[in-house]
Amino acid sequence: MALDTPILMKRIPQGNVANRQTVWYDGYVATGGYAALDKAIAMEPSKIIDEMKASELRGRGGAGFPAGMKWSFLPPPDGGHRFLAVNADESEPATFKDQLLINTDPHMMIEGIAICMKACHLDTAYVYIRGEYHHHRVTLEKAVQEAWDNGIFGEKSRMGQINGRTPRLFVQRGAGAYICGEETALLESLEGKRGWPRNKPPFPAVSGAFARPTVINNVETLATVPAIIENGAAWFKTHGVARPEGVPPQVPASYGTKLYGISGPVNNPGVFEDHLGIKLSALIGQHGKGMRAGKQFKAAFHGGISMGVLGTDQYDAVLDFDIGKRCGVLGLGTACVTVIPQDVSMVAMARNCARFYSHESCGQCTPCREGSNWAYKLLSRIEAGEGTTADLDLLSELAGSMGSMPGSTICGLADGTSWAIRTILQKFWNEFEDKVAKPRFVGLALR
Amino acid sequence: MAWITQKSSAPNDLGRRAVPYLAPATKDRFERDFIPRYPTRRGALIQVLHAIQDEVGWLPMQAMEEVAQFIGITPSQVVDTATFYEEFFFKPRGKYTLWVCQSVSCEIMGSTALQGKISEKLGIHHGETTPDGKFTLMHVECIGACGGAPCALCNHKLHENLSSDNVDAILDSLP
Ligand SMILES: Cc1cc2nc3c(=O)[nH]c(=O)nc-3n(C[C@H](O)[C@H](O)[C@H](O)COP(=O)(O)O)c2cc1C
Ligand code: SF4
Ligand code: FES
Repeated sequence: MALDTPILMKRIPQGNVANRQTVWYDGYVATGGYAALDKAIAMEPSKIIDEMKASELRGRGGAGFPAGMKWSFLPPPDGGHRFLAVNADESEPATFKDQLLINTDPHMMIEGIAICMKACHLDTAYVYIRGEYHHHRVTLEKAVQEAWDNGIFGEKSRMGQINGRTPRLFVQRGAGAYICGEETALLESLEGKRGWPRNKPPFPAVSGAFARPTVINNVETLATVPAIIENGAAWFKTHGVARPEGVPPQVPASYGTKLYGISGPVNNPGVFEDHLGIKLSALIGQHGKGMRAGKQFKAAFHGGISMGVLGTDQYDAVLDFDIGKRCGVLGLGTACVTVIPQDVSMVAMARNCARFYSHESCGQCTPCREGSNWAYKLLSRIEAGEGTTADLDLLSELAGSMGSMPGSTICGLADGTSWAIRTILQKFWNEFEDKVAKPRFVGLALR
Repeated sequence: MAWITQKSSAPNDLGRRAVPYLAPATKDRFERDFIPRYPTRRGALIQVLHAIQDEVGWLPMQAMEEVAQFIGITPSQVVDTATFYEEFFFKPRGKYTLWVCQSVSCEIMGSTALQGKISEKLGIHHGETTPDGKFTLMHVECIGACGGAPCALCNHKLHENLSSDNVDAILDSLP
């Protein structure tokens, strides 16, 4: 089932990157923008949350947590501040979907922000945008200014007062740290501290930014909200795929469309929108226009590196939220695919991942801080042809144990490290064995 | 914890100057633009540091002390926050900072050769600045432009689909 009418890329040409221009406030309103906000303003806030729950929209930031449920966790207003933190940190390797929304149709996310603030009684919102997105930040700041000037936020907001205060939206510029994409690290950074993830509980819904109730959502999640409020949950659920047979009803399905990124040696890399549940092969074939001449598919990171890797025989993998169990990976992640061709070594890929995590680990937890650096050293040695079979065993043990003991690390970065390295090892073990196969003299002893 | 052990931007000079970094007009601007956004003054810290670095090019110790006083926290708290982030520099850097991506998509598309080419051309490695003060080279993780891999930022400008062939022209064209 091809996607006839895009939701997220409704105002943005798919594929042809050269033609993309930013849709500013006037253009957004002229194409039906902010109608959903007007509808939401007329609704009882709890009804907005009910609609979101009914839509079963799952977070697009990587973890896939149901957005409506998250919104319902906040305690009732008690007179103090309540915040929305928008996660535009987008630092997961191979992920570049949110930047498209920010750069080309920023008001869709801003409208989603306003609706969320209205629904959850949040008075102040911050978009935490990664430091490296310079051009995007300039665009976003201009769009936010437009929203203030046109009575979405500020004294004359058409939403009136929220939580007894003037609704406000600000852009927060990050400064280069992957970990600040983790929601509690993001909050620490927002407070002017280093991005050290917090122990949970308390969860941000109860004690988030500045120790106040806080909702944290991804850019794409919020950009999907206006369409749901405008057209209803039932309409939204005509997109994507339903809950698979035999899955308990409390497990949300994969409804809606999703932005997919494709990078690597394909003919037409970029960001595309399609139904959840598209096959990897279709994504590469139809949107990516196939592999470049002379390149052959070997593997793919399908949702950023932290979800693990899909093997050569998983070319037809269905990209929905249930992919984890089916394909031996952590989950759908960001649905941004990196295609790895036959001529790239999986040992090199594993080493690249380990380097990333050892560089980005915040250092609070021993398994993550030591483990990632250790794995990087082992993989560097193996890739240089200096590794032994003992190194390989050690690496497997290391990658298999990191993050797997609940509570032994504070955040999910350690799990990401484990899944990235472990799945590459499992699915491409022979490449590692080949690298260490030759017996070698080390000092005087044959190892 | 690479940000502690491998930080190539670590301070080497605590030199002071008579003119403050936070002139009264600058403080007024911060007070107006950043402080009201957050329930605590410290919330504005990273935005203030960015504003200073955008102007000075890096974050001298003296500037961080002045920021501490302005915000109402200790200098050590400012340094604690600032050194965590890769984008902040604690010693002068080149007119242009090249941030060359080396994460998976870029490595697949040839960032290793690209980094080699740039290092060879400029005579510097990761974290170093050319003697003429023109370029600082940073090897970084994914910059979110993977569809145009391999890619790099030159100061705030993104360059996509780089190769050993076209990077020469780009570097040579910079004044
Ligand atoms: C190490 C780590 C990095 C993360 N980076 C991001 C990120 O860059 N962007 C993002 O939206 N979510 C990121 N997340 C997920 C967030 O913690 C959080 O689940 C998400 O922002 C919630 O929004 P959603 O429910 O709308 O998806 C990261 C999580 C971890 C553990
Ligand atoms: S798991 Fe790693 S990144 Fe997360 S808090 Fe612990 S040390 Fe920091
Ligand atoms: S991997 Fe290089 S920009 Fe994302």
